[in-house]
Amino acid sequence: MKKTPERIEALAAEYVLGSLHGAARRRFERWMMESVRVRQEVWFWEEKLGHLGARIEEEQPPASVWAGIERRLWPQTGNAVSAEAANDASGRWFWPGWSMLATAAALVLAVILVQQPEPEMDDRLSGAIVQADVSDPLWLVSESSLDRQLKLRPVAATAAQQGKDYELWIVPADGQPLSLGVIPVGGTYQVTLDDEARALLSNSRTLAISLEPVGGSPTGQPTGPILHVAKLYEL
Amino acid sequence: MVTSNSEQDDLMGLLIAVSREDRLAFQRLYEKISGRMFGLCLKLASQRDLAEEAVQDAFVQIWHHAGEYHSERGAPLSWMLTIARYRTLDLMRNRKSRPTSGDAHLERVADERDGPLDESLRVAGTAELRGCLDELSETQRDSILLSYYRGFTHDELSEALSSPIGTVKSWIRRGLMALKRCLER
Repeated sequence: MKKTPERIEALAAEYVLGSLHGAARRRFERWMMESVRVRQEVWFWEEKLGHLGARIEEEQPPASVWAGIERRLWPQTGNAVSAEAANDASGRWFWPGWSMLATAAALVLAVILVQQPEPEMDDRLSGAIVQADVSDPLWLVSESSLDRQLKLRPVAATAAQQGKDYELWIVPADGQPLSLGVIPVGGTYQVTLDDEARALLSNSRTLAISLEPVGGSPTGQPTGPILHVAKLYEL
Repeated sequence: MVTSNSEQDDLMGLLIAVSREDRLAFQRLYEKISGRMFGLCLKLASQRDLAEEAVQDAFVQIWHHAGEYHSERGAPLSWMLTIARYRTLDLMRNRKSRPTSGDAHLERVADERDGPLDESLRVAGTAELRGCLDELSETQRDSILLSYYRGFTHDELSEALSSPIGTVKSWIRRGLMALKRCLER
């Protein structure tokens, strides 16, 4: 489906209202990741329809709600950490919640044009992971079909906070993200893509970086917040 | 928004502090808005346990994402309520739950096609939004508000408003576009 202005307008309204469901909703969430224009349309409605939420009668949630939040955010300082709480904290619901990705507010996508080498049968993808308030890109990304290498070169990236690591993911058009491993601090990170990873990436051209415990996600799926989503471009 | 500018400034200050991982500010933020958030989730889900879970999830997200808030996303309160609303809708879909205590309300809408929707729904929003909602047809407005507050699917709306699903879809779509034209004026 093409992203015409009329479709964006109509679908964004239905997305925020909540009447867009299933595959259509997921497709639209992908549009949001791909386009600032789409996100802005969503924000328009979030802001306008948000007024509806402010007039609702207040009701105090039970104390257990706050206790649960504290337990999930700071399990180590809590009195009792139940297995259930630890499980909750895995953020298993987080990834499907693409709506938050739309929030990828801070996120601006940029195309970095790289000097093209002599013509050869080599499909290259390139892009940058950038943050709105940082003038330089955090990382530059390049991928070459010839040597099957994906390279992530740090520019303005800083180390993750203490006790955390950044983990790199391929976000496929459909299905679960595929880990490309933990990004080491400093130096270019280079990873060889197998056939499956290459196929997924050339199809979706989308990478994400999440914040994970040291050593990477314990579950094989992103557990922490998704910090960046970047779209690669074919050169 | 019904909240005053100074309250929004307070919330903004708290959000900034939260983005710097200030736990005390986070707790104050919770004390300030959890009542409104829980009220919204409860209205949407009509299930206490689901609403409680949604508020918890929303605050965990707010803690992690406070730094991503910016003014284009609306007032701080709207932004946070939107997070909770999406989370509630997700949970409702995951559980494939239908509103329970909302049924009485649903019948009333079905019986009184021309009658006013719940007054608290009708008067909701700022003057601007209210004015624009008033310009819509009854059916357009009712379908939009039922979707917003109750999270009704097209099927559920079709049942609630005793109308074919295609008609309901077109009420929502046309209603939203008319609303946008009005809000942009």
